[in-house]
Order: sequence, then C-alpha cells, then structure tokens
Amino acid sequence: MISVKNLSHSYSNDDKLAVKNISFEIEKGETFGFLGPSGAGKSTTQGVLTGLLKQQDGEVIVAGYDVKKVQNERFNKIGVSFEQSNVYSKLTAKENLDYYAKLFDVPTRDSVELLRLVGLDGKENDMAGEFSKGMKHRLTFARSMLNNPEIWFLDEPTTGLDPAIAATIKDIIKEHAAEGVTSFLTTHNMYIADELCDRVAFIIDGVIKLIDTPKNLKLQYGQKLIDIEYTDNGKIVKETLKTVTEADRRRIGEIVNNHDIQTMHSKEATLEEIFIQVTGRELV
Amino acid sequence: MLKNVFKIFSRDLKIARRDSMALVIMIMPVLLAVGLVFFVPGLNDTTVNIALLDSDTSEHVAYLDQFAKIEVFGGENELMDRVAKRDDVAAIIPDGNGYEIILQGNEPEMVENYAKALNALYEIGATKEETTAAMYSFGHTVSPVKTMLVNMLISMIIMLSGMLIAISIVGEKSDNTINAVNVTPASQTAFVLGKSMMGGLIALLSIIASLIITGYYDINWFMIILVGLSSMLLSLIVGFVQGLASDDVIEAAANVKMIIIPIAGSIAGYELLADKWQWTMYWSPFYWAYKANMLVLSKTADWPTVLLCTGMVLVLSLAVYFFSRPKIREGLS
Repeated sequence: MISVKNLSHSYSNDDKLAVKNISFEIEKGETFGFLGPSGAGKSTTQGVLTGLLKQQDGEVIVAGYDVKKVQNERFNKIGVSFEQSNVYSKLTAKENLDYYAKLFDVPTRDSVELLRLVGLDGKENDMAGEFSKGMKHRLTFARSMLNNPEIWFLDEPTTGLDPAIAATIKDIIKEHAAEGVTSFLTTHNMYIADELCDRVAFIIDGVIKLIDTPKNLKLQYGQKLIDIEYTDNGKIVKETLKTVTEADRRRIGEIVNNHDIQTMHSKEATLEEIFIQVTGRELV
Repeated sequence: MLKNVFKIFSRDLKIARRDSMALVIMIMPVLLAVGLVFFVPGLNDTTVNIALLDSDTSEHVAYLDQFAKIEVFGGENELMDRVAKRDDVAAIIPDGNGYEIILQGNEPEMVENYAKALNALYEIGATKEETTAAMYSFGHTVSPVKTMLVNMLISMIIMLSGMLIAISIVGEKSDNTINAVNVTPASQTAFVLGKSMMGGLIALLSIIASLIITGYYDINWFMIILVGLSSMLLSLIVGFVQGLASDDVIEAAANVKMIIIPIAGSIAGYELLADKWQWTMYWSPFYWAYKANMLVLSKTADWPTVLLCTGMVLVLSLAVYFFSRPKIREGLS
C-alpha cells in the first residue's frame, strides 16, 4: 500500500537533509510505527507521503498513486489525523465533520456516529472553538475516519488525551487494523507503538536505523531478566539475574531450592530501552 | 471541482456570518449608502428648492416650476418651518406689488442669487425661447458630486472584499485548517476560487445594493458588474497575500487597508490631474476602474471605453497576480 524508495527531503533545498535516502514498504492491513524523537524526520516523511510537502527526491507510491504527480482524488482513499488539532472554531463539531464529508467523492460516515465513537456525543452542536485541547484532538481524529480510508496516517493519535479516551482511540485503531486498514503511525510514545504496531521503524537524524516487529526487536536486543526477592537468615534479599547466562541460571535454581521466595518477576526490555540501545539517543 | 468551490464558499459564508468583524464589513457599505442618501442634503437633487404660498398667483408658480423644485404651503408659518429645515430652500412670497425672498441664512450664495435671478426674469416676463445662445450638451444627467461619492463607495467596497478574504485566511491559519483541506480531494484551485467567491459575491451584492439605495436604477448594469468583477481581482489577490502574511485579524485588516493608498491616489489623480497628466495614473488598475465606473454612473459610457478600462484593470491585476503567485501557493501549502 505504501512504497518509499530513496526518499530525501530538504526544507532549504540544499544538502541539509531532514530525511536522508530512506526506503521502506508497508503492506495492506499493516500498522506501521514510525518512531523517533522530535526533529528526527517523522513529520517530514509523513508530510511527503500525504502530499503536504513536495516530494523532491526518490520514489513514493501511496495507495497506488505516485505522490509526485498531483492527483487529489487519491485523498478519497487516505485519512490523516494531525498531531495539532485543526478544526474550524466557528463551526460546531457536527458542522466541521459535515463540511469535510462533502469534499470527498466517496461515501462518508455519519458525523453523529463518528462523534459518538470518539466520546463527543452530546457535543454535536457545540462550537469547536469552545472545546478543550483533548476534545479538538478527538474531533480531528474523527475527521480522519470520515471517508473510510484505506490508508490512515496517524500523527501522535493519543497525545494530550486522558488514559480512558486514549484507550478508546487505541481500540478504534485496532478495530480498523482488524478490518484491513493500513496505518502509518508516527509517535515518540513507545508503549503505544508496542501495543498497536505490527512493525516499527526507528528514525533518527533523518535516517532509518532499523525496521522490525516489536517482538523480534525484543528478542534480538532485549536481555531477559528475573527479579527475585527471597529471605536469607530472616533478611529480605533482592537479586536481578539474566536468564541467558549459565551462571545466573544456576544461581536462580539454587535460590529457588534453598530459600523462601517472596516475589519473582520476569522482565523484558521495553522498546524505549531498545531504541536507546540501537540509536544511542533518548526519545525526547 | 465546482462542487468543492461551492462547498468552500458556503462554509466561508457561514463562518463570516458568525464573525463580528466580517459582519461589519458586509453591512458597512449598505449603511454608508443609506447615510449618503439621508445625511447628505440634496444628494439626489441638483436643482434649487423654492417654497411658495398657495395664495400666490398660478402664473408665478407655473413660471418658477419650469426652473426649480417648487413646494407650495398653505400659510406663512408652515413656509417658515420649511425654510428652517436643514436643506437649502429659498422662499418667495408676495409683498405688496413685488416679492420678498426669505432665506435661512446659511444657504450657498448660488441659491440666493438663483432665487433672485429667477424672480427677476419672471418680473420682466422673459422666456426660455427668447435666448440667443445656441445649446450644446455633454449629456450628463446625473449630479457629478453624487457620482463621485458613490464611485468612492464602490472603491471602498472593492477594498473591503480583499479584507474579507484576508480575515478568512487568517481564520484558517489560526485554526490550522489549511492542511486539513489539503488532504481532501478539494484542489488548491477550488480552495482559492471558493474563498474568492465569498469576497467577490458579497462585494458585488454590496455594490448593487449601494447603487439601488443611492438611486442609480437606470444605469447599464452589465457594464457596472463587469467593471466591478474585474476591479475586485486585484483586491482579492491583495487579500490572499496579506491574509497569508498576517498572524491575526487586526494585522490582516490593517495590511489590507494599505490598499487604500493606491485607491485614494487613483481617485485623486482622476479628479484633480489635468488631462495632459492623466497618463501618470495609467499604472493603477483602480484608476481604470474608477474611470469606468464614473462613465457608467454618469450614463456617458460606451462599450469600447468600458472594455478598454476593464482590459487594463485585468492586465494590471494579472501582472500583480503572477508576481504574487509563488507567495500565495507557498502560503497555502
């Protein structure tokens, strides 16, 4: 559904590249996470893929359309949820969705149903300008689903939302993935990426460092650890041991056989720890 | 694309109705037109008003009626009240064997002299047919002052259409909605046309309403609409450029107001410069628009002249457009 080959982009049209010769493919129905800190090149890549930024170099095919050629009808197949909410403050929530719905040439979803889906039921006739930041973000998210997109660009979809609403948004993304919608998710939140993405790409300084599934990354880069708390001569002792080294495995057996175990937890590396390990940079 | 142009136009119109500044801009021309009619005495009338008593002779009334607007009153008190009103009226009442002219005192000297001369002509029994002067006419049938004021109002409406666009663009920027439209099948051209339609149509309706209110019913409407549409082009371009360059509504309105300098300069140039210096204003599309409107409003326009003026407006406006196009496209991306 998305094919990117040797994409580079410079805002100043010189050799200062925000994105440097990146390539990747996204299959139909896949949720692809594009992860990196601020300024890594995530939004630039999404900008080129959605046509908001002019493609300068390389080859980008989205939903069968060559992005370099101006073909506005491709947006009938694409939905974009922006990180910064963008709604008309002098229109009501329903008027906002109804207006955008009329710009598409394909059947669109009912605006009231979409508002209910994102928890804005009862706010249909309220002016969007009176909404909180989180409500505007949800309205922006709802708008991205209007045209039943085949490809869905999601830029920080849960940023600024309370945990309950964030969980609702994540559920909606999962439901769409189950229905075969291809999603390109841009985020610096590794927990969201871990939960939602089939594959993730780590991007830093405009360069993709790796692309893989979260599970493979954990297997490849994570060290499996076990935290054990046990009593020894009436004292509580705590040890963290690796499951992959022979000496630690023997020590685990010795503790289990000879001591009263209080707590024992297995622990695997998070995507964030792996990102730091791979790129040497934190996700700020 | 037409569907999207109309949708964008409808949405802009809905938002404009909810924006107090846009609403003021939309209503202001009509209020000014009403103000011109009600508060500028004699705007619709370039003849002298004369008040007479109904006890006067019918010959006197009929004679004066050929040369002035006559109002007849039943008594002296009513007549005095009429003279005391704010517009300029000279009362002529019989006094013994002669007549007495009564004035409020603040009338132009011309009114006083005209009343005196007219009554003197009656007293010596002069008629129009006795004149030895040959008659030649420029064919102007409308008051030049009124035409100038209404033409200035049209120029202001054209400036306001740019201001409406600028306010709308600033609104899009502050709501961050331009990108959201850019990821729909609506093209940038549809977006620009939809917005222009809002500013253009409101301005056109304001021009028509203002002309009807000020009494210009029998002008050539095709000509006035053609000139109005062409002269709006530049204002719309300025509206887009300033809207995209401004961060808030006040800044946008202030920037668009700068267009009043070439507009005022063009009007002053047309009205004040001698014929041999008129060419110095040929660079200004507002000059050509003002000139064309002046001819249409004074009912002396012919199609070749109107088409020449409109053509000049379009050529000059398109030159500005091609100069500004990169900025507009960049701002809308």
